[in-house]
Amino acid sequence: MALTERRWYTGMLSQEDWWAVWLGVGFFILSLFNIFGLDLVGWITYPAKWVFNPPGAKGSISHAFYALGGKYSIAAKGFYKGLGWWSVIWTYVIFTIALCIGAASMKWNMRRFFLGWTIIYFMTIASWFIGHHAFIAATKIDRHKYGLDFTLSLGGGGSYILALIVGLIIGNFFKGFARFLSEAAKPEWYIKTAIVTLGVKLGYLPIKMSGMSQALGKEATKLTFELFVAGCVATIVAYMVFWPTVYVIARKIFNLPRQTAAVLGSAISICGVSAAVATGGAVRARPVVSIMVSALVVVWAVIELLILPGFFTHVWPGPKDPLVAGAAMGMSVKTDGADAAAGELLDEFMRTKVEVETNGQVVWPSGIITSSAVMTKVWIDMFIGIWAFVLALVWVYRIERVPGETVPASEIWHRFPKFVLGYFFCWFFLLALYFGPGHGGAPEAMPFLKSVKAGAVPVEKGMRKLFFMLTFLSLGVITDFKKLKEAQFGKMVWVYFVSLFLFVIPVAIIIAYIFHHGMEIPNIAQYVK
Amino acid sequence: MKKVEFIIFHDGKEWVVSNGVMSLSDPTLVGLDAKICGALKREGIVKPGERARIRMAFDMGTMPQWIRQYSQHYFNRDIIIEGEEDKFK
Repeated sequence: MALTERRWYTGMLSQEDWWAVWLGVGFFILSLFNIFGLDLVGWITYPAKWVFNPPGAKGSISHAFYALGGKYSIAAKGFYKGLGWWSVIWTYVIFTIALCIGAASMKWNMRRFFLGWTIIYFMTIASWFIGHHAFIAATKIDRHKYGLDFTLSLGGGGSYILALIVGLIIGNFFKGFARFLSEAAKPEWYIKTAIVTLGVKLGYLPIKMSGMSQALGKEATKLTFELFVAGCVATIVAYMVFWPTVYVIARKIFNLPRQTAAVLGSAISICGVSAAVATGGAVRARPVVSIMVSALVVVWAVIELLILPGFFTHVWPGPKDPLVAGAAMGMSVKTDGADAAAGELLDEFMRTKVEVETNGQVVWPSGIITSSAVMTKVWIDMFIGIWAFVLALVWVYRIERVPGETVPASEIWHRFPKFVLGYFFCWFFLLALYFGPGHGGAPEAMPFLKSVKAGAVPVEKGMRKLFFMLTFLSLGVITDFKKLKEAQFGKMVWVYFVSLFLFVIPVAIIIAYIFHHGMEIPNIAQYVK
Repeated sequence: MKKVEFIIFHDGKEWVVSNGVMSLSDPTLVGLDAKICGALKREGIVKPGERARIRMAFDMGTMPQWIRQYSQHYFNRDIIIEGEEDKFK
């Protein structure tokens, strides 16, 4: 059966974007039952730092995984506390059911998906477990609790790096195995689901902060809206500056044909694969042009993921301007998966660095730096449809002038990233709860806000981080660095390198600096044990 | 206005449209549009003096599966034709 988009509702049960919405919003709605005293999400698993022979009560291997409800639930704390490592199995079973429903709806090969998903899930859990050994994750602030004198101080970032390395080893040295896993190695689906749960994070942040102080809650709300506006403006500037420059580089310096230059221009300057496909469609290029450019994008995005978080943390701008780094990441890394993953890695690196450098005097809540990277990417994704529509108008009416052809405005909706609807829905729904029955964090509303928190945390912390881990591993599996050497790409590889590293990234840093410099993340050190 | 729908895809050499009633192909979109117009008039689907909107919805099933997770839409094309000999509006 053909996969075509002819109606506005086409694809609601057959596209990854929509299934990211159903999964993310679905589990978010389940979490809200906590308000009525029913905890349906406390089983979601989460790792803790561990060592083989802990000196004290903390860090035993038997508690290396636990159900988040055991810590945060109000309605069923005792039950979830007893799950321990079994929470890994509960999480596997329930997410398997949910994802298999999605995969079946999208008409994937169910046997291969189920087997591939099972392998990927347990490899992810293994990476998460190993990455949380205190030698990797603990810092000088807390390593004494595990009896260690020296640690790598990677925080949660160690797990992400390990998952990516495992995936890259499979993707580059065990290609038959990578092909087998490919039905379930879907980094874009996993990251879009994670981004929807990041909306839960943003909406939950004022609730969490108001549990520390009402003023902090209001500060968190203000910061998230500042990120929202700054991300929008930075994106518009980026489009205006990046696309024409990269198009000219591709045409005048590398002599690429008009359609190829347009597709490559969008891929490098805007948003990788989705922009390449959108532009290819807008200029009516043969699909092979978008496919080839996209294959390049996927590989370069992972190279950026490997380089940029470390560079932005340890070279420039460092913890002095973490949100500049996040926003620059969003404008530089060219797929949603790699960008959000890079933002999450940057978040872990920056928070660990500032906590270590200030000896615990500065502690930032997790997810804000990730949000700055994702926010610019979300705006970029939303504008792709409009940009492609404008390009199509120019191409059809001015350049090609095909008799009788019109450009339907519905193209904007068909190209709109549907997962963004889930992201904003979760974010604004929680804000409505915060300002509505939550009375803006006032003391009398604390019992209500605590019930919201009990549900939100397993989703925004456990589900979000699990799906980020799945993204890292899947990204590695689908990335084959040898593709860069294939003759068919020819000079496109060099257009990409020159444009991205000598123009897009430096200019992204400048634009991010202009719109994000000086934004501060609230310090919660005094409220954290 | 009459509406006629096709799916469209590229087979590596040519653009191809089909809708279960007819299947046409051409290396260029302009050439394809001319063949669609001629075929619809020959078959009497678009009569003289009648205007029709031809919707060509790209078949994403022909894109590699790995790319579809990034983008689920290529393009939809609309052309307006009139049932007069070799004349587009």
